[in-house]
Amino acid sequence: MAARWVGCGLWGRRQGRRFISTSTVSRLTSEEVIQMRNELFSKEKERQLSLYPRIEKIEVKYTGKSHPGSVFVMNKALSTPYNCAMHLSEWHCKRSVLALVDGEAWDMYRPLTKSCEIQFLTFKDEDPEEVNKAYWRSCAMIMACVLKRAFKDDYSVDLIRAPEVPVISGAFCYDIILDNRLNDWKPTNDNFRSLTRDAGKLIHKDLPFETLHVEAKVAREMFQHNKYKLEMIEQKASQNMEGIVMLHRFGDFVDVSEGPHIPRTSFCFQYEITAAHNLQTNQSELIRRFQGVSLPVHLKAHHIVWHKLLERSKRLVTEEKYLEAAAEHHEAKDGTEEEKTASI
Amino acid sequence: MRLSLPAAISHGRVFRRLGLGPRSRIDLLRNLVTALVRHERIEAPWARADEMRGYAEKLIDYAKLGDTNERAMRMADFWLTEKDLIHKLFKVLAPRFQPHPGNYTRMLHIPNRDGLDRAKMAVIELKGNPFPPLIRKRRDSEKTLLNQLLKGYREDMQQAAAPQAPEGTPV
Repeated sequence: MAARWVGCGLWGRRQGRRFISTSTVSRLTSEEVIQMRNELFSKEKERQLSLYPRIEKIEVKYTGKSHPGSVFVMNKALSTPYNCAMHLSEWHCKRSVLALVDGEAWDMYRPLTKSCEIQFLTFKDEDPEEVNKAYWRSCAMIMACVLKRAFKDDYSVDLIRAPEVPVISGAFCYDIILDNRLNDWKPTNDNFRSLTRDAGKLIHKDLPFETLHVEAKVAREMFQHNKYKLEMIEQKASQNMEGIVMLHRFGDFVDVSEGPHIPRTSFCFQYEITAAHNLQTNQSELIRRFQGVSLPVHLKAHHIVWHKLLERSKRLVTEEKYLEAAAEHHEAKDGTEEEKTASI
Repeated sequence: MRLSLPAAISHGRVFRRLGLGPRSRIDLLRNLVTALVRHERIEAPWARADEMRGYAEKLIDYAKLGDTNERAMRMADFWLTEKDLIHKLFKVLAPRFQPHPGNYTRMLHIPNRDGLDRAKMAVIELKGNPFPPLIRKRRDSEKTLLNQLLKGYREDMQQAAAPQAPEGTPV
């Protein structure tokens, strides 16, 4: 590949140190990695778009409460649930966070592929569990983006994953491994404040979350530098029958994700990164868990309440008891018919 | 200094002109007050309901003086055209509003009337009436994001306040 020897020559001379490159891991500069991932993402997106050269129409039936029985005639693989909401009203566009397509939670900006039934989910529904989970995932991804950019280029930052914690735990978290030289670094309040300000800038930019379902091969090529991401890709691909992995991008940050996200970053209103804890594992490297809490535009909180929630989110959030509770819940559901066990 | 004001300017005029004349206006409002005391919740054109509101509340203030009071009885006799409502006024409504110092009625807007005039309508009701409430507060569901965060916070506080693993009940 042409760019590889360019990297060896130019970057090595500029930084004045010997550039040791292995066969696959050639680009170690974070910006180059980001650019590579972005290009691959855009290329894959265009390729998927070019699979449908002629516009085909699909019929999407709306099964919500507001306009019962309406049918939209949309374009296949081009129109998104957001376009369907645009046909209904501005309120639907602003309020809906996810779309329930044939009973499955979809992103608002993910193109529809066949005739289906659609419903919109908002933050104030009777049962906004999916929406809450998507919001927590998006906030964790924003935090990951902020953390990735926060450090100087010569300190390596490895993102691991965002553990799926429920909302009631009080904070969303992201596991991350920092450079070895930063093992003794304890983030101070000022550090958290500057990270929060970075996140605020991202939120203010109002970036859309683009989603893409790719084959595991493409995803592996994108994340070849990060072994934890590769493990996650293997795990996701094995869960899926066709070996498809879901990727999300906003701005120029691409990440593997476990479910749908909110449509735009401007849906977050109050956002704060509150704490960082060191996780005790038997691995040699120090895994840190950064935590934060956030509230959407539709559910603003008074500052007194917000400060209390901030205090609570500084405590370490562990996912074990929720996983156990979820496992019990699943067993109970498989065993008996109804029986909603209250987790936690 | 009050020189003869032209009829078109109404700066500072408090009372509206309803019906055919002053006598007609009072009769209209009297009928509405009687209907309100009988049914405790009525729909009427907004202007008439607004005019009637003051008279209704003053009537209840008179009723609070008690039915032995001569002036109160004369007022009730004039304002309530159906005489069985005088008993209801003194025996039911006056004790109901005894603790409150004022504001016995509630007036809310309604969509415009369906007829040709599309008149602005209002519903006026006496507080404490037995009907279901006009406005229902729509509380957010327990499972919204903010409510879940607050629930977690409350549970944490309770766990911190109460001792962990409470011991068995004393016999």
